Amino acid sequence: MRRGAAIAAVAIALGASGVGAYRLAPAPAAESAGWREIAWPFPRDGWPAGRAFRCDGVCAGTLLYVRAKRGFCNCDRGVADDDEVDRVADIDLITPRFAAVAPGEEVGLGEMRGRARRYDLDMADGVRHAAIGIAVSRRCDLFVAAAQGRGEAGAVQRAVLAFLERPEMKLWATAALDGQ
Amino acid sequence: MFRCVPLVAGLVLFACSTTAQAQQKQTIGAPPEASNMKLVGTNDLQARSAYQPTIHHQGDRWIAYIGHHGGTDDVPAPVNPMTGQAEPNGTSIVDVTDPARPKYLRHLPGQEGKYESGGAQMVRVCDGKSLPKGDPNAVYMLRTFGSEAHEIWNVADPANPVLVTRIGGLKDTHKSWWECDTGIAFLVSGAPDWRTRRMTQVYDLSDPAHPQKIRDFGLPGQEPGSTGAVPTELHGPISTGPDGNRVFFGYGTNKGGILQIVDRDKLLNGPKEATPDNLRYPEISRMPMSAFNGAHTTFPMLDMPVTEFAEDKDGKTRDIVMIVDEAILNECGEARQMVWFADVTTETRPMMISSYTVPEAGGQFCQRGGRFGSHSSNESMAPVYYKKMAFIAFFNAGVRALDIRDPYHPKEVGYFIPAITPATDKRCIPVEGGERCKVAIQTNNVETDDRGYIYIVDRANTGLHILELTGPARAAAGLPRN
Repeated sequence: MRRGAAIAAVAIALGASGVGAYRLAPAPAAESAGWREIAWPFPRDGWPAGRAFRCDGVCAGTLLYVRAKRGFCNCDRGVADDDEVDRVADIDLITPRFAAVAPGEEVGLGEMRGRARRYDLDMADGVRHAAIGIAVSRRCDLFVAAAQGRGEAGAVQRAVLAFLERPEMKLWATAALDGQ
Repeated sequence: MFRCVPLVAGLVLFACSTTAQAQQKQTIGAPPEASNMKLVGTNDLQARSAYQPTIHHQGDRWIAYIGHHGGTDDVPAPVNPMTGQAEPNGTSIVDVTDPARPKYLRHLPGQEGKYESGGAQMVRVCDGKSLPKGDPNAVYMLRTFGSEAHEIWNVADPANPVLVTRIGGLKDTHKSWWECDTGIAFLVSGAPDWRTRRMTQVYDLSDPAHPQKIRDFGLPGQEPGSTGAVPTELHGPISTGPDGNRVFFGYGTNKGGILQIVDRDKLLNGPKEATPDNLRYPEISRMPMSAFNGAHTTFPMLDMPVTEFAEDKDGKTRDIVMIVDEAILNECGEARQMVWFADVTTETRPMMISSYTVPEAGGQFCQRGGRFGSHSSNESMAPVYYKKMAFIAFFNAGVRALDIRDPYHPKEVGYFIPAITPATDKRCIPVEGGERCKVAIQTNNVETDDRGYIYIVDRANTGLHILELTGPARAAAGLPRN
């Protein structure tokens, strides 16, 4: 019940900031970025839709897609390698034509651990974009994020991770992983 | 008179709700739930979480080889009462010659680890005398060793298996297929350099002591060096051998399933380098399923006469593939996983023709605890049931007997849900920052033997139950009255 009340309070607080959109509180100085929620743009697939955001700050123009994927077989090993990030991080929702530009790295979101990897996207308009894929696990469930933008990939990754570390996002991620 | 109506209605409603409540929760000591199926014998399998049973007629004995998942958080390595030692879950070997009194012969430990990460889930068995280059006195058991290897053991003396060979260095394994007349094996493996956790390694195991690798196989995009989206991983293949010349591959478990129909000869003898063109070369067709459903088991039943079409000038017989999804999440936390029948008579245009699921309301299965939905079917092609009856493991709804003689209209004719025991493990879901757990049967796999006995095993540690059909279900299978 307390969690439900907390989610409701967050929802009310976020809802009060605008017409179906909101701007989060100022981020730490190095990652000053505002994220505005937009509609989930992808057609229905095997996982329930997640949430989508557009960055207006230092990572202006970056689009971020996050969602929970419940029911992941590697319950003990978690996100063990970069191939796992390629498979699960939803980069393929943006475009099925992508290539990793470097080995990934270990990342954490709260108590969840996993990996992040940078990609080059071959978009339909012929323009190449940079993207970040993130996958972390909690027991048999995954939380994934895919971001694309024009900014420097390292800065985008830091801004995304800082955003996902915010209490309201962690609260939502926990609820989504709980199936709520 | 009319004043009595509300009272009677209330009593009926109370009775119904009480029945529904009773059905929601299994309790220790309560009898099994059954229709047209009867318990013959049982064994607790040392309270190990069970995956695949394979029943083998070995001389004048019938032996059940049963694969296990890894241990649990509470009991990572159960004690084997025969040795007094804690042993990581592996393979149970049980003499079921007398199905009323199964005799546990041996536990062969598997890889250390919990749940999907350990154990030895998969088992296939071939006689040495049927393999082209096997030792005629040997009986070979092919099993997985956790995620890291495939192993072949000589189980001619099933109480004293002897390791013959090992194919290791893998990042995962799963439900393989082994042709006992040719020795060709389609091993579900995770080759370290492939981008998927599970793909196919084709081996010639006609001489089990000297495995010969033929090739790696998978969907384009899974091979080493490829980029872009990675197609969903393999779950398992079933081959019709050189005569049928087809291999039916099931990809996906509970999402985005794919049935892939492959020309076996082209797969074995075509170009072997793992390039996109070479991987496409043996493929005849593939049928993508809904994103909601996976393809755990793809069981072929070719050239089935369909009574309804008997008078038609064409299409009297149909090639059918039964596709079984696997439920993953507890307490209906996902789309329903169920059974599908595909007509693949025109191979390049396979089409789904029917489906089957257990009615949820019939047992309040979403509230019982654990998984509800299908997982697997029997894979024996022995005449006793082949193309007539199929048995589906349905987790907390037990095993379901389907009359599939008309695959366009499959019909449930029996079921059996074992009673839980003190060994039955809990299944939990996250709630309010903690967990809520329930205890329920989790019938994971089912197999049949040539005699018509049905073997079901439990993922939640309740063991092995040996069943037989009764009443109309037995008649539907063409079996004599018992």
